Amino acid sequence: MPGLSAHVSSADHILETRASSHDLGAHVVACAFAPDGSAGFALGDGTLRIAADAAWTSIAAHEGAVLALAADARGFVTGGDDGKLQRIAGGEVTTLADFGSRWVEQVAATRTHIAAGYGKRVAVLDAAGKTIKTLEHPSSVTGLVFDAKGKRIGASHVNGASLWFVAAKTDNPRKLEWKGSHTGIAISPDGENVVTAMQENALHGWRLSDGQHMRMSGYPAKTKALSFSRNSKWLATSGAESIVLWPFFGGGPMGKAPTELAGGDAAFCTFVACHPQHEAVAAGFSDGMVVLADIGSERILPVAGPGGRGAVTALAWHPDGARLALGTETGFAAVVDFSKQ
Amino acid sequence: MSASPTSDQVPVTVLTGYLGAGKTTLLNRILSEQHGRRYAVVVNEFGELGIDNDLVVDTDEEVFEMNNGCICCTVRGDLIRIVGGLMKRRDKFDGIIIETTGLANPAPVAQTFFVDEDVRARTRLDAIVTVVDAKHLPARLADSHEAADQIAFADVIVLNKTDLVTPAELEAVEAKIREINRFAVIHRADHANVPVTDLLNQGAFDLDRVLARVPEFLTDDAHEHNDDVTSLSFAVEEDLDAEKFNAWIGALLAEQGADLLRTKGILAYKDDDRRFAFQAVHMIADGAYIGPWRPGEKRESRIVFIGRNLNRPRLRRGFEACRA
Ligand SMILES: [Zn+2]
Ligand SMILES: [Zn+2]
Repeated sequence: MPGLSAHVSSADHILETRASSHDLGAHVVACAFAPDGSAGFALGDGTLRIAADAAWTSIAAHEGAVLALAADARGFVTGGDDGKLQRIAGGEVTTLADFGSRWVEQVAATRTHIAAGYGKRVAVLDAAGKTIKTLEHPSSVTGLVFDAKGKRIGASHVNGASLWFVAAKTDNPRKLEWKGSHTGIAISPDGENVVTAMQENALHGWRLSDGQHMRMSGYPAKTKALSFSRNSKWLATSGAESIVLWPFFGGGPMGKAPTELAGGDAAFCTFVACHPQHEAVAAGFSDGMVVLADIGSERILPVAGPGGRGAVTALAWHPDGARLALGTETGFAAVVDFSKQ
Repeated sequence: MSASPTSDQVPVTVLTGYLGAGKTTLLNRILSEQHGRRYAVVVNEFGELGIDNDLVVDTDEEVFEMNNGCICCTVRGDLIRIVGGLMKRRDKFDGIIIETTGLANPAPVAQTFFVDEDVRARTRLDAIVTVVDAKHLPARLADSHEAADQIAFADVIVLNKTDLVTPAELEAVEAKIREINRFAVIHRADHANVPVTDLLNQGAFDLDRVLARVPEFLTDDAHEHNDDVTSLSFAVEEDLDAEKFNAWIGALLAEQGADLLRTKGILAYKDDDRRFAFQAVHMIADGAYIGPWRPGEKRESRIVFIGRNLNRPRLRRGFEACRA
């Protein structure tokens, strides 16, 4: 539509020149890249939309909404409010587990394992999709993540987090305790720190070497996205009018002020995803704006301008760091390629 | 804080009552009479079986204390997650009905809708509906606090199984309910046969309807027992001073919030032609201006307390001292 493009602000330049985008018509719950390079978008209407090159396809994955998405060794794994854990690979849907009336709210995966959180339990499956163990928690699991080596699983819940060894014969987690409701979790790539988001607009952290507690507060809203930089030096977070980055070096984050990037007063940061190699972070905002921020130089590259697309609800990098998938609450989705041209 | 409802806020009805009182019968009646409207129903794992609906969410009631650790400032973490999940498919239903376990205290459910920013943005608590069994209520009140709490929190009470008691017993049980909560609407029923229009879309937590059902003047003849839940209301004809009221109610909720189950008020502040509506569940309060006094409406400030250990003279003196 050449007549329209003249009116689009320059903030959309990258979206116009380097992206394949689509209006998917339902809340984008999560996005991820599969090993074959295709991007998957999990939607509130129960479908998984897959963007491969410029072609977009739709696969019916769940009866209700898709609640969680991860990429595993073969393709995509999704959890839904129909109680199912599904694998979507090669255009086929396979049910890996059916937890009945329990929502599958959390899914995480590595090349060798899949973890699915339903209620207070986490099922751990091997790459073939066979359940090898079930981990019990004191309350519902609100966040689920593997560490960078795929050896440990972290799960957040009321009054803290549990850290499990995937290969352990006897299942006793390391309990990271802090009173309150913890609603999300991240483990630094170097495996040194665990951080949770909390109900009361703050983060809590544990340094694993000595159990030192870390408290990061001052957010005007709840933090829903936590992402460590590849070198573990920075923790990028949503929940403020800017991208809030806590320094995990030089004695930080204790006693250090966070770095704030891409700040304004019109919108809240709603999602963050650190670049898989460089000290850079992609961030989405409540007005639909998406930016790529270089942490060292504090340079901001606009990816998508604000307005008309709803709040950003999902961002994911391809492991090669050249492509970024993004999605919004109104169903706008795009795959941006930073490499060509 | 603002609590003005917008059209995209999904209405939420909370259904409480002891096991066997007829909650499930009532729920199925609501669901079967809904003429094309669809409801998401949140049930707990200990609930009675047999809910005929295609969108049923099974949950564990996970109550946690907010950061100050106060025992009355509790919310339901599971509901925060469920509402978030349901909103991802929100075009598929028109309202949410939450059934609580028989022994549940309704405060954490109600407080969830005041406290969590995402839940507040997307939903509005419409009413708490409590189902009680006319035959067994006296025994339940004698052996637990929860039965009285469920009545105290109710906006609507379904007094069910009236066919199992004599007219005299029915009068006695209704009088007992009135002693606890004089402000709820009571519907007598057998087999939970209450019209759905009397249960849904009541707007009981909308600030501009907060005192819609409170009579202009109530004679306070209820007697008080230290451990009983009672309800009191006061009216002041002179205008109030906003700062004095805030200081008084803030201190009162901080000191006695655990005993104050529900507090509601419509206030006339000096030099302001708008009505100010105030409500609180335990210590968690909300208030907003709700437009001008209506023509013919008496400009006076009224406040209602439902709770334990209510000291009538002290509360009255405190409220009256807020006069400008
Ligand atoms: Zn309290
Ligand atoms: Zn009495």
